[in-house]
Amino acid sequence: MSAQPDGRRFAADDADVIVVIGSGAGGGTLANELCQKGAKVVLIEAGKHHQPEDFINDEWASLNQLAWLDARTTSGSWRIAAEFPNLPAWTCKTVGGTTVHWAGCCVRFKDWEFRPRSEHGPIDGASLLDWPISLSDLEPYYDTAEYRLGVTCTNGIPAPPANNNFKVMGNGARRAGYQGVSTGRMAFNTIPRDGRPGTIQDGFNYQGDKQRAHWSTLTVEIPRAEQTGRLDLRPESMAVRIEHDGSGQVTGVVYVDAEGNEQRQKARVVCVACNAIETARLLLNSVSPLFPDGLANSSGQVGRNYMRHLTGSVFATFGKPVRMYRGETMAGIVTDESRNDPARGFVGGYYMQLLSLGPSFLSTFLRPRAWGRDFAAIMEQYDHMAGMWLVGEDLPQQGNRVTLNRDVYDQFGQPVPNVHVDDHPNDTAMREHAYAAGESVYGAVDALRTFRVSPYPTTHNLGTARMSARPEDGVVNEFGRAHDVPNLFVSDGSVMTSSAAANPTLTIVALALRQAEHIEQQLKAGAL
Amino acid sequence: MYPHDALPDDVYARVGEKLAEAAREEPEAARTIEDGVSALDAGPPFAELPAGEQLEALKGIEGSDFFELVRSTAVTEVYSDQRTWRLVGYEGPSFDKGGYVTRGFDDLDWLGDPETAS
Repeated sequence: MSAQPDGRRFAADDADVIVVIGSGAGGGTLANELCQKGAKVVLIEAGKHHQPEDFINDEWASLNQLAWLDARTTSGSWRIAAEFPNLPAWTCKTVGGTTVHWAGCCVRFKDWEFRPRSEHGPIDGASLLDWPISLSDLEPYYDTAEYRLGVTCTNGIPAPPANNNFKVMGNGARRAGYQGVSTGRMAFNTIPRDGRPGTIQDGFNYQGDKQRAHWSTLTVEIPRAEQTGRLDLRPESMAVRIEHDGSGQVTGVVYVDAEGNEQRQKARVVCVACNAIETARLLLNSVSPLFPDGLANSSGQVGRNYMRHLTGSVFATFGKPVRMYRGETMAGIVTDESRNDPARGFVGGYYMQLLSLGPSFLSTFLRPRAWGRDFAAIMEQYDHMAGMWLVGEDLPQQGNRVTLNRDVYDQFGQPVPNVHVDDHPNDTAMREHAYAAGESVYGAVDALRTFRVSPYPTTHNLGTARMSARPEDGVVNEFGRAHDVPNLFVSDGSVMTSSAAANPTLTIVALALRQAEHIEQQLKAGAL
Repeated sequence: MYPHDALPDDVYARVGEKLAEAAREEPEAARTIEDGVSALDAGPPFAELPAGEQLEALKGIEGSDFFELVRSTAVTEVYSDQRTWRLVGYEGPSFDKGGYVTRGFDDLDWLGDPETAS
């Protein structure tokens, strides 16, 4: 069928549709897969349908255009609660979700990262659990995902060229003795491919990619789903409740449309992919006599085990210019520290990845709340600065969780999510090790001064509806299907049983592909 | 708060304009600013103090709501101003110029390309 310029519309009482909530890496990919397989899909998205040409290459203006800025609160000992109390996470509210601001790092999880409980044994304070699947279960889907995203260094796609920021980190890492140094496996085109151009290295990733060199669900998955004639995309629609019948099967989704009116869409299957904070919130808000603690929450695990990766960064100044802002912002990685080596004083591993920020964000994040002549002098070194991000495994904890804050309500009349995080001693030990490693890398290429940057609002939000083999340990099974509700699925990073060290998007996509296949089989078998 | 001697005063005047705008639009901000300014001016007027004493006075109120409002407004305005970008050597948006692919994204010449793993 040809594309439908005005979009397909399914009736609100069409109980044959699959409703996917959230159009990011999980939801956007799943929606397209289901459409390709012949299903009718209603894709509900809270944000607006911006197009790449509308993106703004200015950090604060772009944040206001794309970021999820609805009210949220924080608690716990993490520094976010003091420094950015109303912005626990930096995710997107727009069609395409957080893929729109994704820099594109595509690292597969390692075999042992799927079984942290077996690998590490019990750890005080951590709620470690093995995934119900292994790397070998996911490998075929990783292969498909890498082809689909056009990941560099796979499928014959050339590696990204070394940019200025990488020359500094890469040389420093080699001199510091690291071997696993490369420009990375990235989901942007180094050469024209799949109808999209090669990158012009314009230096903007987190503000959306105006030229479409990056894969995103906005520019790849959703348009292809629309071409099937089976996608009904509903932007500016905020899901507030999932409904069910007396037997405990979900029957539809209630959402608030752009005009502020409540709408009800019937559904045969509901897939939740709202990013870990909002996914947990939606389930917790969907209370009923049958599900008094929230939908699919008989285990009490909805909202718990929230993970957001180690997160931290190191910047350094040099005697000669770097101009880190030119080019793809994260095209560089050092993998040596991603091994599990408890002799370092912590379990799990981390990566060093390239990072560049403009003066607007750097001045806010380099030293939160710093001011005065000394700080201004540091900022004057901006074009002599290099930067890296530290991303590593953080451990799940029962108390690190998303709950409903019944003292604060949003514009839809819903209690806002509160995000509580206390660092586990393992997280702290890993972060200290990573800071020191980053400093040694820059020290090896004669940094004048290095800066340890504390974790800022993360884009990686995981674990709040985790997969488990046993229903009492988690929320969903190996296919992301709710243990308690057979026609309810979770389709985003919430399902991750452990965070692993790697950026989660590639794995979210692989899981969505696997889930789509499962849903198709179940539909054919009459089990959904 | 973010002194760059080479920047024109106008960059800093924008911070004042932004605060005035906030005071007009949000009663809470207006109160915070009013209370903060009168506290700062409780002794000799702040504006007439020598620079060293102004700095001490600011350190004395660091962390207060008023201070944070002014500081957060200042950091955003000063470092999002294109005149500051030029001063610190940031060229900003490049999409309309064809990106940096032919304009120096890899022109760092004091280090070579590092040896990379596949």
